Amino acid sequence: MSEKYLAQPDLGFIDEITGLGGDTLKKCFQCATCSVACPIAPENSPFPRKEMIAASWGLKDRLLVSGDIWLCHQCGDCSDLCPRDAKPGDVLAAIRSAAITEYAQPKFLAKAVNDKSKLPFLLGVPALWFALLAWITMTAGDTMTNIFHSIGIEWSHSTGHDVIAHADFFSTWFVDLTFVPLATAVVIIFILSLRRFVVDMHNNAVAEGKTDKTVLNWVDYIKTLPRVLPAVLKHDKFNECETNRDRSTPHMMVLYSFIGLAVVTGIFFFVLYVFQIPGPYSQLNPVKWLANISGVALVIGSSLMIKNRLAKKDEQVTAYKDWYILGIVFALGVTGLLTEMARLAGAANFSYFIYYLHLIAIFNLFAFLPFSKMAHIVYRLAAMTYSEYGNRK
Amino acid sequence: MDKKYGVYICTGCGIGDVLDMEDLVDVPEEEGVTCKTHPFLCGKEGCELIQKDVDDGKVNAMVIGACSRRVNFDVFKFDNCIVERANLREGVVWPHSREKYPALTEDQKDDEEHFDSIQMKAEDYIRMGMIRVEKVKLPEPYKPETFSKKILILGGGITGISAALDAAKTGFEVTIVEKTDKLGGYAAKMRSQMPVEEPFEALIPPVIADKLEEMEQYPNIEVKTSTEVARIAGQPGEFRVTFKKPGEKIEFDVPFPLPEEMKYDDSGKELTAEEQHNKLMEYNEGRKDILTIDPESTSYGAVILAAGWRPARLEGEAFAHLGCDLPDVITNDEFELLAAKGKIVRPSDGKEAKSVVFVQSPGKDEDDADFEYCGAVTSQVALKQAKYVRNDYSDGKAYIIYQHMRTPGLQENFYKSMQQDNGIFMSKGAVTGVSQQGEGLMVDATNTLLGDNLNIQADLVVLSAGMVPATYDDPVINLAYRQGPGFRDNDIFGQYADSNYICFPYETQRTGVYAAGAVRRSMTIEESMEDASGAVLKAIQCIESANRGVSVHPRSGDMTYPDFFFQRCTQCKRCTVECPFGALDDDEKGTPKVNPTRCRRCGTCLGACPERIISFADYSIDSVGSQIKAVQVPSEDDYDEPPYRILALMCENDAYPALDMVGMNRKDYTPDVRVVPVRCLGSVNTIWIKDALAQGMDGVIVIGCKKGDDYQCHFMKGSELAEIRVNKIGEALSSLALEEERVRFEEIAIDEYDKLPGMLSDFVEEIEGLGPNPFKGF
Repeated sequence: MSEKYLAQPDLGFIDEITGLGGDTLKKCFQCATCSVACPIAPENSPFPRKEMIAASWGLKDRLLVSGDIWLCHQCGDCSDLCPRDAKPGDVLAAIRSAAITEYAQPKFLAKAVNDKSKLPFLLGVPALWFALLAWITMTAGDTMTNIFHSIGIEWSHSTGHDVIAHADFFSTWFVDLTFVPLATAVVIIFILSLRRFVVDMHNNAVAEGKTDKTVLNWVDYIKTLPRVLPAVLKHDKFNECETNRDRSTPHMMVLYSFIGLAVVTGIFFFVLYVFQIPGPYSQLNPVKWLANISGVALVIGSSLMIKNRLAKKDEQVTAYKDWYILGIVFALGVTGLLTEMARLAGAANFSYFIYYLHLIAIFNLFAFLPFSKMAHIVYRLAAMTYSEYGNRK
Repeated sequence: MDKKYGVYICTGCGIGDVLDMEDLVDVPEEEGVTCKTHPFLCGKEGCELIQKDVDDGKVNAMVIGACSRRVNFDVFKFDNCIVERANLREGVVWPHSREKYPALTEDQKDDEEHFDSIQMKAEDYIRMGMIRVEKVKLPEPYKPETFSKKILILGGGITGISAALDAAKTGFEVTIVEKTDKLGGYAAKMRSQMPVEEPFEALIPPVIADKLEEMEQYPNIEVKTSTEVARIAGQPGEFRVTFKKPGEKIEFDVPFPLPEEMKYDDSGKELTAEEQHNKLMEYNEGRKDILTIDPESTSYGAVILAAGWRPARLEGEAFAHLGCDLPDVITNDEFELLAAKGKIVRPSDGKEAKSVVFVQSPGKDEDDADFEYCGAVTSQVALKQAKYVRNDYSDGKAYIIYQHMRTPGLQENFYKSMQQDNGIFMSKGAVTGVSQQGEGLMVDATNTLLGDNLNIQADLVVLSAGMVPATYDDPVINLAYRQGPGFRDNDIFGQYADSNYICFPYETQRTGVYAAGAVRRSMTIEESMEDASGAVLKAIQCIESANRGVSVHPRSGDMTYPDFFFQRCTQCKRCTVECPFGALDDDEKGTPKVNPTRCRRCGTCLGACPERIISFADYSIDSVGSQIKAVQVPSEDDYDEPPYRILALMCENDAYPALDMVGMNRKDYTPDVRVVPVRCLGSVNTIWIKDALAQGMDGVIVIGCKKGDDYQCHFMKGSELAEIRVNKIGEALSSLALEEERVRFEEIAIDEYDKLPGMLSDFVEEIEGLGPNPFKGF
């Protein structure tokens, strides 16, 4: 780095990182054991040592824009070997969380996701919303039918047969009218965030000599993405870790179950609106198989993650942000499966109630995706792609 | 003393198995001295055997042929007896084995071809021991006529006050002399002191106030403020001290020695002693000579030098890049005084200084050296002062840019706690520039943990000035010694009041004067207090030793002292000049005046004296010379190929114990070497070397301690002087047609015993190359 750099320590940022589980950041005495221990740190300006000093100096401007914080998979080898118990892994995790908050818009939502006291609000808003929509579906079916007919569409997707269909409780239209705009908003927020993030990451890489590119070429950058995906899917980086290798499998299960569920949702959406065939599908339908397998994998994967975190209380900091997202994912899986089981068991009301909870969980996962820890899917992918694109060695 | 000789030889520890006892016992008996052997001489029965002879009046000067004198010295101790130990165990039977040097058969004993090297060595050692007990006397202690037990403390800072309290508590009378008008020193000017106990996190008020209060309980502490020492004459136990007001000029101000160039006349010829003395008096006009005693002076037994330090001045070209002329760039000393007054503010405009950069090294040159006279203390001071910033302002920021962060011992915990403070920012790095930018300052640092070219905005920049010892500017102690008023060779310690480097931290080169606190090296308050206790104990040891007429250090308890046979003195002044401790003062004629309680009994004077008129009761030119002459040097008349004889004069402090270790480790070396331990290589008189060569010995090796800046010599100058003398004797030898390689000087540290056999065999190899000494057999 040849240009002058004005250090502007931000005491508030230090407090923020501390609050996000990085309370050991000031302990580092720069011995570099972490950077040596890290199985995935590049040779040229390796992490997490430099992140540790920057964190203890409160250099927000340097850390949040760094792609390196996302290359870390928090395997815990550095924290394990740190002679001063400074836990670089946890500090980096906290910085990542701060980075998500920094890039996500609107800010108040980002802050609310990391704030324990705002949890009732995060759960309450979708709860009220879905309660309202359910009430409309249950009590105002005729009115809605009339309204829909006036624009020439069928209101009910219910099969009308003697089966429990959740569309009777909660209109499919309402589900999609909620989630499609929400998903669109999420995508827009991510695009806006990423545009800033990738540019910042590039400038930081140039300033710190971490790339051979001088100008950021978006097309080339996006073209690099497919090269990174296999490694992500195979969890290659994750598997290089020593201390926390056992985290790899549950993480993979959760990732694949999400992919599976996304595929199922896509098919269902397509079949419903194109072929006008509503659910629920028969248990013999291969799409249902995929849905069930994914659901089970999600529950098992997330419960293993929770179990790991509980068992490692001393070695690894688990902050509210971690519990929040784990809780949501676990709840999502459990309510999904229970809804189905209750439906098959013929317990209509119970099934409806669980479905209601399921919707709240989905809402939390989706709506707050750009603000929660879950956003790492996007940022890490972006950073790994940049690393590949920028030839970070 | 009417000497009655006796020889006792132990046959234990392998001595009896290796040596032919009958032949060995014959050695003393041929001289008519009774010789007894015992298989366990150091045991109860063995000692009783000797004690009985002593009690019966049969023996009072004995040679004990057993182990090294470095062991069992307490066992073989008999009152009013001269005891000499012939080192048959570590010196003979342990290093040299019968496997390597087989015993002779009856036939071989009488032929002219075979000889028993081990037996010869043992017999020589018995002979050498016997002649020594014949030559030495039982020492009688020197007792000064007047004696003071008072302790004088120079410096009224934390060190001096702690020393005074410690000394007063043991019942000694103490005088504190302080140059300024009040006690307390720098400690009294500080805002806070670093933590001294668990958990080492919070600063504490300076302890000096409590100490000053505590002092009032002790009536045996006398305080003299606005006073300094004009001169300290005399010697331990009877120091004669003249006080004066600071800056005052009096006739008892200490005179300075004549500069070297003034000792010669215009043609380059050295002036006579009297002419030099006249010049000296002229040079020090208005001042009395050192030997003139001030009748008004006060007597003291020992002196503690606790003169402390002053902040280093960081100004001029060398520090211009750090903006040392800017109003808001100050030193840690100025910062401390600022902090003591109240909240930290900028000197330029009195505004709150919330961003303060502490600079620990000049950062200009390639090397990473700190400011001069910085040390662990300045690192800790930076941490402490950074804490002031944080204590004063909750949003304050303190940056420490260091090349070295030194927090010894438990102060590491203080460092850790400071590191935990969110507003403390530390990085290794070099500060390359400080400049004014608007109202504030901009600090440029490079090579930091955060990368190169780091900039920091600051309200205030604090440069870490070191602690310059008071002895940098002034001798302070003003000793009325012929060698000069200060300590010699302080330059190798950066003008810190010298100590004997590794081994004896409180010692100075002046017996009875003990340095403590920051005058010795940079120290914290806590360290200074501990240091003061150490110096007090040394001062008490000095007084209580001088009182009994024994040496203080390092030959603690030695009752001997140098005795001059003045009739033959040529007033060459060599003894006065070469004494490492300034123990001798010569008068206007150049005749040395001995100050026995200043003396450390190293014998350097004995080694220096060309007239050989200096001796100690149990160590003299004659006693060592006779030991050398007692060595039998076989010639071609005795054997076809006579063995070589090498004399080794070894310093008893490092080299001799190292050789004992060689024996203990059963490492062999040439058995042809005969070892004579000497007090210090400085005590080696070249006549011994000449005598050895004259009687046919083939070579002489002198082995002493390491010399140089990091010397290990117990008497500072011994090995240095020995090397010079050995080099000079080389020239004399060549005029006798003897090769100068026959005399060699070597240095060894006590832990390098493994090098000794190689060192000796290397020398023997060289001698073998030269062939036998041509004087052999004459």
